[in-house]
Amino acid sequence: MSDAGPPQGAKAPSGGSDPHAVGKRGGAVSRRTWLFSAAGAAGALIVGWGLMPPRSRTGSARLWPPVEGEVALNGWIKVLPDGAVVLAMPRSEMGQGVHTALAMLAAEELDLPLSRIRLEQAGADAIYGNVAMLVASLPFHPMEAEQRPFKVEAGEWVVRKLARELGINATGGSSSVADAWTVLRTAAATARASLLGAASLQWRLPVAEFTVREGVISHPSGKFAHYGELARFAAATPPGSVALKERKDWKLIGQSAARSDIPAKVDGTARFGLDVRLPGMLYAAIRQCPMLGGAPGAIDIPAALAMPGVERVLRLPAHAGSTAGFAVVGKSWWQAQQAAQSVAVDWQQRPAGALDSRRIDAELEAALQGDEGFVFHERGDPDQAEAAAARRVEAVYRAPYLAHATLEPMNCTAQVRGGKVDLWVPTQVPQMAAAIAARVAGVPLENVRVTLTLLGGGFGRRLEVDYVAQAVRIAMDCGGRPVQLIWSREEDSTHDFFRPMQVARLRASLDADGHIVSLRIRSAGDAITPRWMERGLPGLAGPVDTPDKTTAEGLFDLPYGFPGQHMSHVATRKGVPVGFWRSVGHSHNAFFSESFIDELAHETRQDPLSLRRHLLEGAPRYLSVLNLAASQAGWGTPLPAGRARGIALHESFGSIVAQVAEVSLTGGQLRVHRVVCAIDCGAVVNPGIVAQQMESSVVFALTAALYGGVDIHEGVVQQKNFPDAPMLQLAQTPLVQTYFVESTRPPGGVGEPGVPPLAPAVANALFALTGRRLRVLPLAA
Amino acid sequence: MDLQINGKLVQVDADPAMPLLWVLRDLLDMTGTKFGCGVAACGACTVRVDGQAVRSCVTPASTLAGKRIQTIEALGSPGRPHALQQAWIAEQVPQCGYCQSGMLMAAAALLEKTPKPTDADIDAAMTNICRCGTYQRIRVAIKRAAAMPVVVAARAKR
Repeated sequence: MSDAGPPQGAKAPSGGSDPHAVGKRGGAVSRRTWLFSAAGAAGALIVGWGLMPPRSRTGSARLWPPVEGEVALNGWIKVLPDGAVVLAMPRSEMGQGVHTALAMLAAEELDLPLSRIRLEQAGADAIYGNVAMLVASLPFHPMEAEQRPFKVEAGEWVVRKLARELGINATGGSSSVADAWTVLRTAAATARASLLGAASLQWRLPVAEFTVREGVISHPSGKFAHYGELARFAAATPPGSVALKERKDWKLIGQSAARSDIPAKVDGTARFGLDVRLPGMLYAAIRQCPMLGGAPGAIDIPAALAMPGVERVLRLPAHAGSTAGFAVVGKSWWQAQQAAQSVAVDWQQRPAGALDSRRIDAELEAALQGDEGFVFHERGDPDQAEAAAARRVEAVYRAPYLAHATLEPMNCTAQVRGGKVDLWVPTQVPQMAAAIAARVAGVPLENVRVTLTLLGGGFGRRLEVDYVAQAVRIAMDCGGRPVQLIWSREEDSTHDFFRPMQVARLRASLDADGHIVSLRIRSAGDAITPRWMERGLPGLAGPVDTPDKTTAEGLFDLPYGFPGQHMSHVATRKGVPVGFWRSVGHSHNAFFSESFIDELAHETRQDPLSLRRHLLEGAPRYLSVLNLAASQAGWGTPLPAGRARGIALHESFGSIVAQVAEVSLTGGQLRVHRVVCAIDCGAVVNPGIVAQQMESSVVFALTAALYGGVDIHEGVVQQKNFPDAPMLQLAQTPLVQTYFVESTRPPGGVGEPGVPPLAPAVANALFALTGRRLRVLPLAA
Repeated sequence: MDLQINGKLVQVDADPAMPLLWVLRDLLDMTGTKFGCGVAACGACTVRVDGQAVRSCVTPASTLAGKRIQTIEALGSPGRPHALQQAWIAEQVPQCGYCQSGMLMAAAALLEKTPKPTDADIDAAMTNICRCGTYQRIRVAIKRAAAMPVVVAARAKR
């Protein structure tokens, strides 16, 4: 359980022999040292801290601003006079259904209909921080972690405790439900226990004789009351012992409850960042230097000011990783944009030289030759296995820079007046937004108020706060009036924080009988996390980069039982702004590893499914998912002429997904007809939402697999708008079918795990169809 | 200029070149119609003009005098939602929701012209971009709204 004390024998992680993985070659930093330094850098490992109990996340009623007639029972739950309940909602709704899923957890334990739960944006207290996301950043091999060796227990315990202190509220890493699973249900059950206790004291009857239905507590004697009638008394009643419902008693969890956000999304009333309207509000358009890292020289400001509706023109420095540029403020966004587009600017190239993606691609391949890098996983003796091998199979794979392309462009509304900052912003990181606003405006953090809107897509782009800093800087020039900064699609496409380009070499050795005895993977590309910390959390960024799990995930954590394994990553720093892109490292690493497994099946003359089954003999959870996808897709059964199937399996964010893609190729045109998804995501809170996320992931990943890629020439991103960067449309969308493996485990993620297996499933199907192995994304069929 | 929006005559003082999208959003505070690309490529800004689906981000408002403009705000009403809106809820179509106003307006234009659309009709008419990938459910929801049988169920299996 998350509240367990420190693992026996020590307060901090220490030794423990481990046959699996020690960073002993290549990089100087071992994983253990890294854990220590990560904890130490945060300044949290003080004497005695390890013995204090972890901070409770139920929180107190005082965390709510008092409202007449409403009664808060803890930091998450507030009761209204009519018996409805308000849930504190820290997470951002960006399409993944989190507002519905988290409300379901509370409704379940409160025995309330889902429609009786309202949401209110949570405050900034540490209880609302996302602990699960930070714990998941530890670089443990999932199958190793399963056995709970001391190093895993200790590492997770320290990070969990640290994360509770830091309380960073972020929506990312497919972690919202996993994080809320115990915390929210406990808060709701605690509130329910106090309400039952209050009824017991008032009626002088034992709790055991009560029944609770739809928020009404009743007794066989005929007494009954709804939560609203008991709330005031409950606030002063200790909950006593609190127990969560057993699985067999769930009424809501596991049901495809309708999403609460949908009605407003079909009649135009849903409010996104772009839809904020305030009295006296101005609009700002922006142009950042087209050359990444460059800056504007001379700007013809008078000409811009002479344009209709224009109020102000100001230069913008590089903020939170952005490229410098200028903003035009006007009475309407269109007028501001017209002026920004027409103004003459003398753009200056990046001082360190122009970036070029073709050059970086060559540099990354060269970086694979050396012996640098961090060893994330080692098992057995791969050197010996390679030396003794009868045959070796080797391939180089590559993935390009990629943009997020949320349909709602980057935007933020800001108002700066009287030493205070107000933000209305679609963001995945409201506290980081507040922190950068405070820094830019030079006001204390407590003087910044953030109102979170709906997000028109996130995909990791809204983990950045560059546009927030810009909006605040612009608002500082607007005399106290609110201003809405909107990026054009061209700015959004060319000034993204791109998924980093990666190049990988995979090498397997086979013995004389054709058994695969070792797998060595070495990849190179920019690390994301250190750059992200520098931009948004400079106080937590260390003087040197620590190894970044996010770029190596999906390569070092494979479930296949090769006797010899060696997985390393060379973290580069090329200067292109890079960020988290839906499923992050898994998104390209699964393409590398699952395509290569397919190559090995071909090289050893085995069916790709059979080989995987054989390699997963010691991994029953993975095997079940693989088998479910294969059987539902009819693997091995005949297909119409000109079609073929491909399969891929990948674990990410605590969930395992297998996909079978059915493809055809007509006149050079690749078509994916059907994708069967099987998922083990632990306990399923809302299967309808999980299915939505599988459909979403397939379309998102197929768009990238077929068309995705960002080219940078002379420092300038070439893909500027949708005509240059096509997106999958309805006509090209395959039928997506989702099947679940029953599980009693706690929930894993669902927003991202459907993305990684898609590209290799399609590439493997193409190979089955044509005999041509595609090792470069996007797939050039 | 005078515009006929959602059955009402509206007077707007705007630059003749200003696209309808920004007249709606910035001058009239009608924010249901969305900005996505500005080049008529994504369809987030789709409205109906005399029944036809039109991408409002590249359509100067001054060219629309005397024409009937309908936006998402008037596709249905709380008391009488459009069949497409009902189908969208029944099929749980939206995710982030940002593209859905444009999708619904495009679908409404399709059904007005083609009350029983084939898959090919839907493919040809629904060219708007959805980054969340709600396309499969949109296809099913259009058929549901058209009271047509859905051949392949898109539902989750357990």
